[in-house]
Amino acid sequence: MRTIRRLAKSVSLFVTVSMLSLVVPYQSCLAAVIGTETALDVARGQEARQYLEGVLAREDVQKALTAQGIDPKEAERRVEGLSNTEVVRLAKKVEELPAGGDALSAIIFAGLFVFVVLLVTDILGYTDVFPFVKKHARKKS
Amino acid sequence: MLARRADFGYEFHSGRSDQFQAYLAFLLFIAINLMFIGCAMPQRKWPQPGEHLPSRHELESVPFYPQKAFHCGPATLAMALAWSGIRADTDTVAPEVFTPSIKGSLQPAMIAAARRHGRIAYPISGPAAMLMEVSAGHPVVVLQNLGLSWKPAWHYAVVVGYDLDQGIVIVHSMNTPRKRLSLRVFENTWARSGHWGLLVLPPTRLPATATQHDFVSAVVGLEKAGQYQATVQGYKTALVRWPDSLGAHIGLGNSYYALGDKRSAEAAFRQASRRFPTNGSAFNNLAQVLWELGKHQEALEAARKAVKLGGPLVNRYRETLQQIQAGER
Repeated sequence: MRTIRRLAKSVSLFVTVSMLSLVVPYQSCLAAVIGTETALDVARGQEARQYLEGVLAREDVQKALTAQGIDPKEAERRVEGLSNTEVVRLAKKVEELPAGGDALSAIIFAGLFVFVVLLVTDILGYTDVFPFVKKHARKKS
Repeated sequence: MLARRADFGYEFHSGRSDQFQAYLAFLLFIAINLMFIGCAMPQRKWPQPGEHLPSRHELESVPFYPQKAFHCGPATLAMALAWSGIRADTDTVAPEVFTPSIKGSLQPAMIAAARRHGRIAYPISGPAAMLMEVSAGHPVVVLQNLGLSWKPAWHYAVVVGYDLDQGIVIVHSMNTPRKRLSLRVFENTWARSGHWGLLVLPPTRLPATATQHDFVSAVVGLEKAGQYQATVQGYKTALVRWPDSLGAHIGLGNSYYALGDKRSAEAAFRQASRRFPTNGSAFNNLAQVLWELGKHQEALEAARKAVKLGGPLVNRYRETLQQIQAGER
């Protein structure tokens, strides 16, 4: 019994050391350059965020938000709470909205924008504006 | 019995009314068929020849390989690879794409196999893009369903030409080189795959319908496959068209870095950091390469800059900075 224990001790020491020697250089590998895909994803997310912030700062959009009873600051916070993928998806949806130069289409755009933002945040469970969006039970974070 | 009749909602009568119903059913049958044929009319989706699209074009330089049973995937990919300048035949490509249990080749396997040979796999969709590519001299691998939507018979072919005046598409398919298919038949079989098409290109060649996002993503895919010699060329090709592509700048540096060419990597990251002075990743990678080249002071400056710029990857930048500071001491 004692020999087994002594053996186990030395074996476990050997295994620990060899595992460490495997792990340590790998970790310094991880600290190296940022991969192309990661860098691109992050940049695309930041771009989308800036774009949405710009749209949210527009006067007509802020008016449309207020008309819906939403504080523009609150809308900003909601966009901030979205993940990278979600923000990119939202920006894409907004870019697809018809946006003409004249006053009427600006109003239509503002209205649609508010609708899209609320719809997306609704689907993700941040808001609860539309009853037709099915929500999964989510823990409050 | 009565209840059953009520379920059906109607009763059968004898005599003339029976015939009348049969007649009605026949009319309905014809009407439904006409409706479906109407849906499948291709002319609406297919573009007209114009300034950017010649009315006919045929590629002469795409070799033809006849396929063995179920090996349409390997055969078409081998043809596309051979056209792009890779020595490949059906038998060498088969183990890379063919899945014996489904007796076929899946689209992701086709993409991955093209990358393994150092070629850019660029998926396209729709008739307009396909015709543009063929007229630009690029053969297009297409996925067709020769069967029905509910009993599919999937098949790959290579489009090598078209003639819009005659209304035909020319394909290398099965055992027939330059098979001439009517637009209607081709559209019906191709539409069932969602108009899926694939370009297999040398990395120095840009698709005619390339967008910055899709092309850079295609080169990133090639980088994932470890084909760094090819991705250096691919990112350079992207930078000629889109000098402001962040992905292409970073990717070029990363490809050089993976090849061990640290001086070229340094140059690429330096250019990236100059063009994108607010991008932390560019400075982080520059710092890492400078540090490995022994330029500790410059590395330290770049790493500090990356941490200062911050962003979602700031923890990674901090690690780089700490590593450089630890190396200093």
